[in-house]
Order: sequence, then C-alpha cells, then structure tokens
Amino acid sequence: MSPKPDSKVILEAQGIVKILGEEPNTVKVLKGIDLQLQTGELTLMMGPSGSGKTTLLSILGCILSPTAGKLSVAGQATQGMTAEGLANLRRKHVGFIFQGYNLVPTLTAVENIMLALDLRDQSGPDAYDIAADALEAVGLGHRINAAPSKMSGGEKQRVAIARALAGSPSVILADEPTAALDGKTAWPSWSFWRRSPRTPSAPCWL
Amino acid sequence: MEIALDTPVKTATPSRPRQRSKRRSMPMVVKLAYRNLFHDRLSFAVTIVGIVFSVVLVAVQTGIYLGSEKKISAILDAAPADLWIVPLGTKSYDDPSLLSGRERHMALSTPGVENAEDMVVSFAKWRKPEGGQTTILLVGSEQISDKPLPWNIEEGSREALNAPDTVAIDQSYFPDLGIKGVNNHAEINGVDIEVAATTRRIRSFTTLPFVFTSIENSRRLSGAEQNQATYERVLLAPGADPQKVKTEILARLPDVEVLTQDEFRKRSQSYWLFQTGAGAALIAGAVLGLIVGIVIVAQTLYSSTKDHINEFATLRALGAGAGYIVKVILMQAVLSGLIGFALGFILSLGVIEAAKDTKLTVIMTPQLASTLFAVTIGMCIFAAISAIVKVVRIDPAVVFSR
Repeated sequence: MSPKPDSKVILEAQGIVKILGEEPNTVKVLKGIDLQLQTGELTLMMGPSGSGKTTLLSILGCILSPTAGKLSVAGQATQGMTAEGLANLRRKHVGFIFQGYNLVPTLTAVENIMLALDLRDQSGPDAYDIAADALEAVGLGHRINAAPSKMSGGEKQRVAIARALAGSPSVILADEPTAALDGKTAWPSWSFWRRSPRTPSAPCWL
Repeated sequence: MEIALDTPVKTATPSRPRQRSKRRSMPMVVKLAYRNLFHDRLSFAVTIVGIVFSVVLVAVQTGIYLGSEKKISAILDAAPADLWIVPLGTKSYDDPSLLSGRERHMALSTPGVENAEDMVVSFAKWRKPEGGQTTILLVGSEQISDKPLPWNIEEGSREALNAPDTVAIDQSYFPDLGIKGVNNHAEINGVDIEVAATTRRIRSFTTLPFVFTSIENSRRLSGAEQNQATYERVLLAPGADPQKVKTEILARLPDVEVLTQDEFRKRSQSYWLFQTGAGAALIAGAVLGLIVGIVIVAQTLYSSTKDHINEFATLRALGAGAGYIVKVILMQAVLSGLIGFALGFILSLGVIEAAKDTKLTVIMTPQLASTLFAVTIGMCIFAAISAIVKVVRIDPAVVFSR
C-alpha cells in the first residue's frame, strides 16, 4: 500500500550483497538489493524458501551486516557502526515481529511489552499504561496478565505485534509473522495490518 | 478472536477509557532477573544451597579464627598494661619462663612508669580429687591490681584467692579437672589447694586449663623465688611516651624484651595462629568455602543463562545493549547472593549460638557480618563472569532461526 505524499524515507538500501559461508563454500544470498521504504507504507516481500527474505530482513533490521552495499535507517548510515551502535539504532527505530514470536516466557503479556519499552527508557506506571493500551489495541485487553505459556499461538502473535508497536518505532519488520498460524487464526492479524494507519507519522511495515 | 476489524489501530491510545495505573512497578531488569531465577526452582534451590553452604563455612571458619584470636589474648585483654616486660624470646603469653626478679624495681625507677605489677604464669601438674592428673596453666596475679584476674566470676569471690592455696577455675573445665564446684580440693604440684571461685567462659586456646590464683600462691606452687615473675605489667604515668619509656627500660634491663600491649597480643596470636598452622587451616577452610560458593553459583548462573539464551538474544535483537543484559545477569547474581546470605547468616548465628557453651569459641561481629555480606555479593558477581561472557557473545540473528 502506498504512503501519503508527505511520507519520509525511513529505510534505504543500496546494492545490498550478502555472502554466507567461508571460501570456497560460499553462497551469495543477496545479489545487490536496492530498496526504499517510507513511513506509513506497508510492503510485502514474497519469495521461495531460501531466497534470502530473512537474511534481507536481518540486514534491514541492523542485526546482520551486509557483505557489500549501503544501508541507512532514519537517515543514519549503518556502515562501520559497532554492535552497540546498531543495537541503539534498532532500539530507537525498529520494531520486530518474529516468526516464533520470541516472547519472554517468564514474563506476562503486559510485562513483555514493558520490557521492550524499558529498553527505550520508558518505565514505571506510564510504561504499564502504554503496554496495556497496546494490548487493548490488538484485542488482548483481557489477557494482559496472561503468561505466554497460557496463550494460544494467535494471542502470542498479537502480543508480539503489540510489543513491536508499543515503542512507536519508525519501521516494523515482520518475519513470516503468520507462518505458525492457520488461516483462521492468522486472519485477524492480516486485517490488523491492512487497517493500520497509513499516515506519514505511522510506522513503515515490511 | 477479539480484534475489532473496523476499529483503527492505535498504538498508545486505548480503544475505551481505562483507569490509569498509579502503582509503582519493579524495574524490569529486577523483574526479569528474579523471574529467570525462580523459573527453574530446582536450579535456584541448588544455587541458594551453594551460597548458604559457602556463607556458613566462611562465617564459622572466620568466626573460629576471631574466637581463637580472642581466646589467645583473653588474659592480656582482661589485664592490660601499657608495657609488658617479658623474658627474652617469649613466643606467646602461655610460653612462660621466669624473669630474674629485679625487673619490677628497675621498672618502677624508670621515669614515666606509674606502677609495675608481677604476673606469674607456669605449667603445673593438677591432681584430681578422685585420681588422675593433668597439666594446667597456673596464672598468678596481684589481687590489688586495678584490673585483677580472673573475671566473669560465677561462684565465690576474687578476694577469696588471697587466702593461701586457693584457686579459681572455669566451670567449663570442671570435667577436665575433676571438680564439681567451690570448696572442692585438688593438688597442684603436690600441694593441696581449694577451689575458692569459679568463672564462666574463660577458656585457653590450648587444651591446658587456666587456673587462677594470687601472686603469692603462684610463686609458692610453681617454685618461683620471692621476687620472680614471668611478666611485668607496666602502667605508665599520664602523658608518658611509651616508646621513650620502653627504651629507658631496655637500657636498664638488656636481657628482657619490652612489648606494648598490642605487640604482645599480636605476638601471641601470630605464634598460635600462624607458627603452629592452626590459623592457616582456618583461613584455608574459609577460602575453600568461598571457592565452593563461586563454583556452584558460577555453574548454576551459567546454566540458567544458557537456558534463557534465546530470550537474551531476543532482547539483543530488540535493541538491548550489552550493558542491559549484563545488568540482568548481575541482578540475578546479586538476588541469589542476597537470599543466600540472609539464609546462610541466620544459620551461622544458629551455629554460633549452639557453640556458645562448648569448647569452641565462634565470634560474629558487626564488622565480620558486613564483610561477609560484601564477600558474598562479590563472590556471586565474580561467579557471574562466565555467564556474562556467554551472554555478550550472543548473535541476535539467532532469533530469526527459531
């Protein structure tokens, strides 16, 4: 879906190359990807298994470093950044929804979101309210104190969505977010993304 | 599924008014740390047992060490002096040999000396009333002293020791000396004596019981000359310089040693604790306790970190700095340390209380308690190093492979 004309570029990749493995058994997974994502934009990426979707997502999310090419997030070039610098960039600008949800099993739904907020230096009663609101926004207002082990796959996934949204990131990267769900369970999530705001201040979804 | 499909998504605004939270919540680092700890209760229990074992071992070993120090210097502390004139080469308080006999007068004639008191300490044979004999350490002191011996009198009186051939013994030595209480008789070096007073908790560091008597009795029972003494307690006049007086006494008495109170205490303690190896064994026990604690805590923390490695990788992927994750691990270590210390300390106090009226003297002081606390927390933090090394090397990319 296209963003509004006054949206700004939040993520820009130029000539991204990723070679995995050691010589001579190397695999060129990404062969020069150019990409530009803007705020309020929803972009879907499709490809067969092993085509490099997750690798590209990892690079765009500043988790993996490209072998070659340039990447900038919120106007900041990532080239030459330290691991701590990249973590800082992720914390400020990127929200993740993982295929396996990756919720902390020892924390409740609301605490999982509060943990993500805590990383962004948002803590205390305000963080609790923001986290509870985020859960309410994904329809889990009644499950804020539920442990992940007591939640269904769909519920866990919505907690993961709420966690990604709660910190108001500029870009949200979702890696096969409904892969572990059946069609019926996945439908509310797709609807959620379809109806999420497309305003210039809204995050960019990939 | 409860997602309202026709409701626009909001990230920070509730879909319906909800009461704002006013409660103060625990910092997430602390919450995550204690949840990780309590998640695997068996592993946590092992950690706590390890810390408790370590705390008790270190507390008791150190307590015995301090108790030994106190026992070794008990008589010196009870009858202190500004300076002590001792025979040349004296190793400790209970390593007695006799001075020549002129020391008191020489000391009294030294400028700055206000008073000098004789003290006779000697080994003697104690024959029990019902047969059998044992070696004792006979301590004779002047009963007119400002700080006379013995102290902690339970039965009888100190004045009763002025009578000929009377002694005072500690209640804890009754079985060793075959005595049941005051007025009982026994023999010292073949001389019939009467127990005129009993004391409580005055035990020697060695196996030899202390037997207190007057200076005259001790000379007679040990065969010392009329003017002879084992030690001379020198009390200085107000304002006198101990070092100057010490030099003056040594100039007059070249065949003795003159020690300050602190020097005599430390010499006695050093002899028994280090030259005999007793103290080294206690210190080794305490160090062993620490090592056991570190190994157990390190092992369980490392294991816990491995169990939660995917959560830490997720945190890293979400943008947590290494410092944040290190804080969680350290908090786990500190929480384990706090709980382990609290339980271990209570148990140690129980052990100390149980040892109160036994031959073992175990001491707990506020200083030892605070040092033990710092050592326990330090031990847990040190033990966290392997877990920290593991966690800072996490590759956040693993979150995409789960």
